[in-house]
Amino acid sequence: MSEERFLELAPLAALGALDGEDLRAFDETLRSSMLCCAELAAFELVAARIPMALDPVAPPAGLREQVLAAVAPAGYGRATAPPRSWLFPTLAAAAAVILGLGYVLVRVERDAARRDAAGARSGLEALGQELTKAQIEMATLRKDLARERAVRELVSHPDSRVARLAGLPAAPKATARIVWIPESREAVLVVTGLGPAPAGKAYEVWVIAHAAPVPAGVFQVAADGSAVFHLPVVDDTARVRTFAVTLEPEAGTLAPTGPMVLAGGAGSS
Amino acid sequence: MLAVVVPSLWKMISPQSLLLLSRLAAGDLEALGEFYDLYAGLVNGLALRILRDASDAEDVVQEVFVQAWRQASRFDASRGTPEAWLCTMARTRALDKLRRKVSRREDPEESAPAPTATPKSAEAIAVRKALGGLSADQRRALELAYYEGLTQTEIAARLGEPLGTVKTRIRTAMIRLREVLGPLPS
Repeated sequence: MSEERFLELAPLAALGALDGEDLRAFDETLRSSMLCCAELAAFELVAARIPMALDPVAPPAGLREQVLAAVAPAGYGRATAPPRSWLFPTLAAAAAVILGLGYVLVRVERDAARRDAAGARSGLEALGQELTKAQIEMATLRKDLARERAVRELVSHPDSRVARLAGLPAAPKATARIVWIPESREAVLVVTGLGPAPAGKAYEVWVIAHAAPVPAGVFQVAADGSAVFHLPVVDDTARVRTFAVTLEPEAGTLAPTGPMVLAGGAGSS
Repeated sequence: MLAVVVPSLWKMISPQSLLLLSRLAAGDLEALGEFYDLYAGLVNGLALRILRDASDAEDVVQEVFVQAWRQASRFDASRGTPEAWLCTMARTRALDKLRRKVSRREDPEESAPAPTATPKSAEAIAVRKALGGLSADQRRALELAYYEGLTQTEIAARLGEPLGTVKTRIRTAMIRLREVLGPLPS
């Protein structure tokens, strides 16, 4: 399923409304794309807010006690008093036992309180760790979402243009598109089917408007051969005739030195 | 699935809720009472909206809070607020009950209960306003999916509309809600 198709179905999936072939294809795509997961999660948060529009309705008065009773350990909160006729002998016996075991009971209580406190602390620490973990994920996701939003805005801009780049013999299975706006020089490269660069190497984009190619940034591809890369603003993008991608040293170069893997004319779409 | 956080999500979760959840996870029964006092109205309102039956809704409320008690340690704040967590549990259980009723031909009433009170929280006002901004067709399709748990094909059959039309309505409604509601209020 294409990413575009997935994004169309994500709002329905968040409501659990998909079925049939849509559901099967959606689930398959979901497992393979972080961006798709993020999109679905965003719509799930929207769906979870729908019932907030409802008026709260107080449940029957006795239900609270039923809930507490359902989870309370046996005997919780039920103090039982012995029959009055047994009261004095029982008290006398109890006093003796309490006096004898008082010190032990106090220690047991203290230890139990310490265990409770430790449990609560451990719960809070776990929540703190979850918070840190989630904040790290949040930062990554914010970056991904900002990137996705920027791509969408670029694609939907009325002045945007698209060039298709074909894989060359060094990467015959690779394909790519560059979407750019001549006036603002904003450009995004979307690549698929390009093998990861060898260690110490990276792919470099070139904007060719006149004779000399102008470097337009280096990028790496994911393990699945895909990449979405925002090109830095390059003046020649306004008059570009050809885009190209070569394999270069990791830091990039000022002029192409390695094999060209992708190329396409600015009027190729 | 990847745990995802909307940037302002943490602001939405009150320290009181987090503390209550940590106490629940530690087995503090009093905390369950406080948690119930905070959210039972919300859960009951949702269960009633789905089931239209006070007794069934009552069962759902009890089941949800027992589940919350047992699973408090598994609450994942990166996936949503405690309210959303409870509503997800309540919706799942209520829809299960609803489907069993429908399979026994005890069809729920057709009309949804109208809101009877002015919502008090900023979140309730925002969501109600956002839903009110949808077209009647979009809102109907969305409600059939959320409150009746129908799939796109079932909704199309219920409304007598083409499947594509129903999918577009729901998608447009959700995108609109996402745009209008924006990040969660702090």
